[in-house]
Amino acid sequence: MRKREKLLWILYAGFLVLLFLLSSTNLIIKEREQEIYRLSVIIEDSRDDNYVNFRKGMDQAAMEQNADVSFITLYEKDNRKQQMELILREEQDGAGALVVSPVDENEVIQAISGGRIQVPLVLLNTELTGGEIEAVISPDYYEMGKLLAKKVVERHDSTLPVYLFGEPQDNRTSGRFEAGIRSVLEAQGYRVTLFEHRNEQDYRRTIEELVYPGCRDAVIIALDPGSLSETAAILWDSSVYASYVKGLYGRGTTLSVLNDLDRGMIRGICVTDDFAAGYQSVQNAVNLMKNRRVQKQVNLESYYIEKEDLRRPEYEKMLYPIE
Amino acid sequence: MRKIGMGIMWRAWILLFAGVLCLCTGCSKSRMPEKKNSIRIGVSLYRGDDTFINNIRAELEKKAKEYEQESGIKVILDIQEAKGNQNTQNNQVERFISLGCDVLCINPVDRMAASAIIDKAMTAGIPVVFFNRQPVEEDMNRWDQLYYVGADAKESAVLQGSILVNLYRETPGALDFDGDGVVSYVLLEGETSHQDSLIRTEWSIQTLKDGGVPIEKIAGAIANWERSQASAIMEQWLDKYGDEMELVICNNDDMALGAIDALERVGGPKLNLVGIDATNPGLEAVQSGKMLGTVSSDKEKYAWAILQIAAAKARHQQINAEITLTDGKYYWCAQEIILKN
Repeated sequence: MRKREKLLWILYAGFLVLLFLLSSTNLIIKEREQEIYRLSVIIEDSRDDNYVNFRKGMDQAAMEQNADVSFITLYEKDNRKQQMELILREEQDGAGALVVSPVDENEVIQAISGGRIQVPLVLLNTELTGGEIEAVISPDYYEMGKLLAKKVVERHDSTLPVYLFGEPQDNRTSGRFEAGIRSVLEAQGYRVTLFEHRNEQDYRRTIEELVYPGCRDAVIIALDPGSLSETAAILWDSSVYASYVKGLYGRGTTLSVLNDLDRGMIRGICVTDDFAAGYQSVQNAVNLMKNRRVQKQVNLESYYIEKEDLRRPEYEKMLYPIE
Repeated sequence: MRKIGMGIMWRAWILLFAGVLCLCTGCSKSRMPEKKNSIRIGVSLYRGDDTFINNIRAELEKKAKEYEQESGIKVILDIQEAKGNQNTQNNQVERFISLGCDVLCINPVDRMAASAIIDKAMTAGIPVVFFNRQPVEEDMNRWDQLYYVGADAKESAVLQGSILVNLYRETPGALDFDGDGVVSYVLLEGETSHQDSLIRTEWSIQTLKDGGVPIEKIAGAIANWERSQASAIMEQWLDKYGDEMELVICNNDDMALGAIDALERVGGPKLNLVGIDATNPGLEAVQSGKMLGTVSSDKEKYAWAILQIAAAKARHQQINAEITLTDGKYYWCAQEIILKN
C-alpha cells in the first residue's frame, strides 16, 4: 500500500469518527437541554373521581409547561398524617413544587412555617391565605352554598323541610358549603337538618322515613359529590322515594353526578371549572419554580346549572373538556 | 519484517478507532443495576371511556398503592389515555421514555401497530407489558422483554355460550319464547380490528351449536364495544324486527347495556341478553334481571398481574412465581360465569 493511500484511509477513518461524534454525541454540538419541571399533586382523597376534569387540565398544562407531574392519592381518605408523610416524601424525592389539597390546612401551614416544606406550594380548596402561602386556587364554598340555597328558595317554599346529607369528618369544604346554605335558608325561615353518613344505610333510612311512617315531602341538599351520587342512586331505585323528595341538589362535576342530573334524578348542582383549576395549579407551580410571580389567590367562580344547561356550549365545554 | 511492522500499525489504528467509539458511546459507563427506591410505570390506555378498561385502571391504581405499602418502594403510575388514536399513543410512549419510565404498560389502540411502540421501547431498553389487546405474535416474538396480560377470548366466548346452552337444556322455552323450535338472535360485535371481537363471536355461536341450541341469526352489527352505538343499532332492529328477536348476544357488557337502553326507551319485547366483561354496570344489570348473564375475568388478578410483571421488570427482579406465564410472556386471567344470585 502506498503512503498516500494509507494517508487517505486514515483521513477517511478520522472523518467517520468526526461524523459519529457530530451525529450521535453532544461532545461537539451541544444540544440545549430542556428543563423538566418535576412537581407532585397530592389530594385529600383515596380516589380521583372528583378530579377527572382537574387532571385533564393538569395534563394539558404539564404538556405545555414541560412539567413532569405525579398525581398522588392517599391510601386512606382524609388521613392527615398520611398526607403529611407523602408531602415530605415527595419533597425529599426531588419534587420542585407541590400542589396540595390539604386534609388539615393548619398542619400544612405549620409545616411551611416550621421549615419542613421548603419547595413552592400551591394549595387547593382552601380559603386560607397569608404570608407563607404562595398560591391558593379554590372556589369560595361559602358563596357556592349561598348560590345554591337561593335557587332552592326560588323553587320551594319554606314549609318544606330541607335535609342536608354529608360526610361526618368532612368539615373543610363541606363545612363552608353548609354554612353558606344555612345562612340563606335559615334567614328565610326554612327548617334545615343535617344527616351525617355514619354507616351505609343512613341516607336510605332517612329517605325511607319520609315515606313511612312520615308520609311527608322534603328537599335534600348533598354537601359533597359522593353523597349526591349515593342519594341519586337511592331515588333512581324507587319511584316512590322520588315522589317524596321534591328536589335533590348538591355540588360536583363527577360523571355520575352529571349523568344523574341528565336523567332528572338531581334537580340542580353548583359547579366550578375544574379543568381551569388543574391547568392553573400546574402553571402556577411551574412559575413558582421559575421564581416568577403568580396570582396569590385564584377564586374559581361557581355556577348553578340544571338539566337544560348541560347542553349549553359554555357548560358543555366546561363539564366535558377535551384536552 | 516490513510486513509485520505494517500489520502492527494497522491493528493499533483499529484499536484506537474502537477505543474512541467505546468512549463516545459510553460503553465504559455500563454499571450494575442500581437499587431502586422508586419505580415509574408509564401506562397508556386506548381510551378512557371504556368501562372495562376503566375498571382495570382503578384496580391498577389500587394494586400500585398496595405494592407501595408492602414493599416500601414508591410507585409512580403515569396514566394517559390515547383517545383511540395510535399516533397519540406513540407520542405518549415517547414522552414516557423521555421522562425516564422504568417500564411501560400499554393497552394498544391498534394491536397491529404495536411494532412502533416496541421499536421505541427496544431502543430505550424499557420492557413493555401489553394488556387487553394482544399484539400479533411476530411482534411479541421480537424481544424477550415483551409481555401480555389478558383474558382468553375463546374461553370468554365458550362461557358466554354455556350460559345459554345451560338455560336451554333446563327450560327450552326460556330462550325460545315463541316455541317455534328456533332461537332467533341478533349479534352486537366489537371492533373488527380487535382479536377478541372475532374470537368471541365465533366461539360463542359455536358453543351454542355444539350445545344443541337451534339458532337463527336475524341480524348482526359492529358497535365498536360502545354503549351508545349499540343502543342506536338496537333501536333500529327493534323497529325492523320487533317480536322476531329472542336473544341478543353481545361481545361485551357495554353493548348489552346499550341494547337495554334501547329496549327501555322504545319499550321493546322481552329479550334475553348476554355480555362479557362483568363491568360494574354490567353486574348491576345482571342482578336487576335486565341481563341474563355475563362472563367475569378477575379484574383484581388482571391488574395484579400487570403490576407484578411491571414492578419486577422495573426492579430487575424475577417475576413473582405465582404468575404462570405461557411461552414465557403471556398471562391469561381466570374467568367465570356470572348469573343473577
